[in-house]
Amino acid sequence: MSAAFDLPAELNIYGALETRDALLAWLAANAGADDQPLAVNAAAVAEVDGAGLQLLTALTRLDRPWHLVDPSAALTQACATLGLSQWLAQHVVTD
Amino acid sequence: MSQASDADQDFIAAAMPAFISEAGEQTEAIESLLLELEEQPDNRELLDSLFRCAHTVKGSAGIFGLNKVVEFTHHVETLLDKCRDGVLALTPQLSTLLLRCNDQIKFLVQIANDEGADGTSQKSERAELVAQLRLYTEGSKAEVSGTTVAAPATEQAQDKGPTLWRIKAQFGAETFRNGMDPLSIAKYLQGMGKVESMVCGFDQVPALIDLDPETCYLGFEMALESDASRDDVQGAFSFVEDDCALEITAQESTQQRLVRQIDEMPATPRLGDMLVSVGAVSHDKLDELLSEQAQAAPDAAQAKPRIGDLLETKAGVPPKVVEAALNKQQKTREASGEENRYIRVQADRLDAVINLLGELVIAGAGANLLAREARNVALVEANLHINALIEEIRNGTLALRMVPVGETFSRFRRVVRDTAAQLGKEVNFEIVGGEAELDKSMVEKIADPLMHLVRNSLDHGLEPPQERLAAGKPAAGKLVLSARHETGAILIRIEDDGRGINRDRVLQRAWDKGLIEQGVVPSDDVIHMMIFEPGFSTAEQVTNLSGRGVGMDVVKRNIEALRGNLKLDSRPGQGLRVDIRLPLTLAIIDGFMVGVGKSKFVLPLGAVVEVIEAGGQHVRVDAQGRHVVELRGTVLPVVRLRSLYDVESALPDRTSVVVVQAPKGKYGIEVEVLHGQQQTVIKPLGRLFKNVRGISGSSILGSGEVALILDVGSLCDLATVSPQGQASPSDAG
Repeated sequence: MSAAFDLPAELNIYGALETRDALLAWLAANAGADDQPLAVNAAAVAEVDGAGLQLLTALTRLDRPWHLVDPSAALTQACATLGLSQWLAQHVVTD
Repeated sequence: MSQASDADQDFIAAAMPAFISEAGEQTEAIESLLLELEEQPDNRELLDSLFRCAHTVKGSAGIFGLNKVVEFTHHVETLLDKCRDGVLALTPQLSTLLLRCNDQIKFLVQIANDEGADGTSQKSERAELVAQLRLYTEGSKAEVSGTTVAAPATEQAQDKGPTLWRIKAQFGAETFRNGMDPLSIAKYLQGMGKVESMVCGFDQVPALIDLDPETCYLGFEMALESDASRDDVQGAFSFVEDDCALEITAQESTQQRLVRQIDEMPATPRLGDMLVSVGAVSHDKLDELLSEQAQAAPDAAQAKPRIGDLLETKAGVPPKVVEAALNKQQKTREASGEENRYIRVQADRLDAVINLLGELVIAGAGANLLAREARNVALVEANLHINALIEEIRNGTLALRMVPVGETFSRFRRVVRDTAAQLGKEVNFEIVGGEAELDKSMVEKIADPLMHLVRNSLDHGLEPPQERLAAGKPAAGKLVLSARHETGAILIRIEDDGRGINRDRVLQRAWDKGLIEQGVVPSDDVIHMMIFEPGFSTAEQVTNLSGRGVGMDVVKRNIEALRGNLKLDSRPGQGLRVDIRLPLTLAIIDGFMVGVGKSKFVLPLGAVVEVIEAGGQHVRVDAQGRHVVELRGTVLPVVRLRSLYDVESALPDRTSVVVVQAPKGKYGIEVEVLHGQQQTVIKPLGRLFKNVRGISGSSILGSGEVALILDVGSLCDLATVSPQGQASPSDAG
């Protein structure tokens, strides 16, 4: 449970740097718990742009398991538009 | 943000004014598009242009690092995008919101150079606007995911059948920093047709730790089935083109290829040539058909068979291909007429040229005079030719300053709309003759007085809906702003169908205010004009709408300062018409030159009614000490320039009286020599002469002499009051 990161409502260029740093900090904090898959909660995402999506796709290169939880309608829609639906489906875990 | 080098900074500083002016134009366009959309909410093209305008502002602001503009406009753009997707309807409320947003964008652009100018009230207004915009955009989210791709096909060229476009794009690193977004581009493309497949290329995105989140690593491959042309598809990338690897390929049928090639062809107006060059018909066949066409109708009056029909029937060219070629031909014809090719020129450079031309006219006239004196016929002729050319150049150059008044008029749409809404009135606002042209400086100066008159009509003229219905008029009032040319002048007319001027109330007020002597009842025209008297606009009459700084007296003064005049035509209960007549330019008038002693004066030719010979004895002095002359039974006041301006010279044997028409009526000007008609370049008077009454400017004559230009309007006041400065030698002559 502790390994969940809540994405901000505005996942866009204006907060991209901040969100990346927060993600990195969170990854570092959870570096020990390698056995537990990392969860990124995307329920709150209301505003998303290309930079925001790019940030998420960068997670693909993580060398440990992770998944997206509860992607919001806005995020799903944006992924569909940019051709990331398949990618999204691969990384979303519904529980 | 990025560390701009000094060179970049210099570049930005140099390009900033251009950005501000262009962004200003874009916001103007946004405003008029929004207003047009209110009238035709389903017009897809308007909506698209609206989106493009907002997008352009955002994009170019991004280049200049104006984050506030980018951020704020982004919200507006998001909302507009929803409108384009058909998720949101552009309701009047929404368009009011967008108009307010546009005001903020305008404001932000204006203060681009000065961050400090952004006040807290503006900030809080923007925060509120963003919140409202969000309400719209987010409120509609649920529906978005439901409807997915609505594919609103662009109506243009549907006959061709859709093309399957394969679009492959890899975006440049600076894309985000320039304020662009692959996602918006994808969304835009989505709106052009049906997305068959879409794959995002993110394999170049590095791991999080190495990721610069503001650098773009994205690309995508899209298959789009759309009626849009290649240019349209490519247009989606127009803002990122410079650093974007873009491949657009089409899979199309032969028919589509022919049609497209015709579309893409440069302007070749001949139908046959077009079809030959794309291989739809052979050259020989075309020749054959052309001669057949010529033989079929040797008589020009007889209708020829159309080559298009012949191509279809005899050469077997598919009708759709012929049609495309015809369309292209039509478009080419239209385009060559209205293609907007502008050069941006600084106004002061143009002014400098016009000024020089004024000098040239004077120098030309001087040379002409010398040539005449030298009695060298060849030289005189050469000079005449030169002068004719100078005149043409001058007219042409003055025409460069001419702009259509429509641009100014359309600004009023917003004012009318907002004012009417504030007053709870309904109004249909019409603009007629917006293409009439007027000198740019005039257009700028006339805007404020016009605005005031328009507001006045809305506020005082048009009645509220119930009152109108009670009076048997339609609930919505009518306000027409029109412009048209009249000999050497432009007539701007503001006409409403409201209650008109309440003559009795105005008269009563004029009595109360002492503007007219108690009990005296002048003509209706005079009474109506009272509303333009200083001090007439009282607290009771001025509401917060009409009383924005300028009173009606200022309106009148401003118009007269432009050498224009005002006329009111009030029909009680039926409406008010305000006519404003303005000269087309401030730089040149057709003058009528007269002389008194050695001094020369110029009268605007338009004001001159007639000239009467007055052998001195005809000019009399009436009981009040005014000079008067009798003309066909009526008595006209006369201004005696000799005594008014203390001209010293020997008294002539005879004088003439030039009868002129002033806004307040006819009067005479007594002069000694008539020099005749002359085009006059107006030079403003120095500050020293600002207070000289009756003179509006000066002009330098070909001989180097200075002539004063008389101001018919203010001279009239001098004629009708009893002369104080004018000594009254009744024995003159």
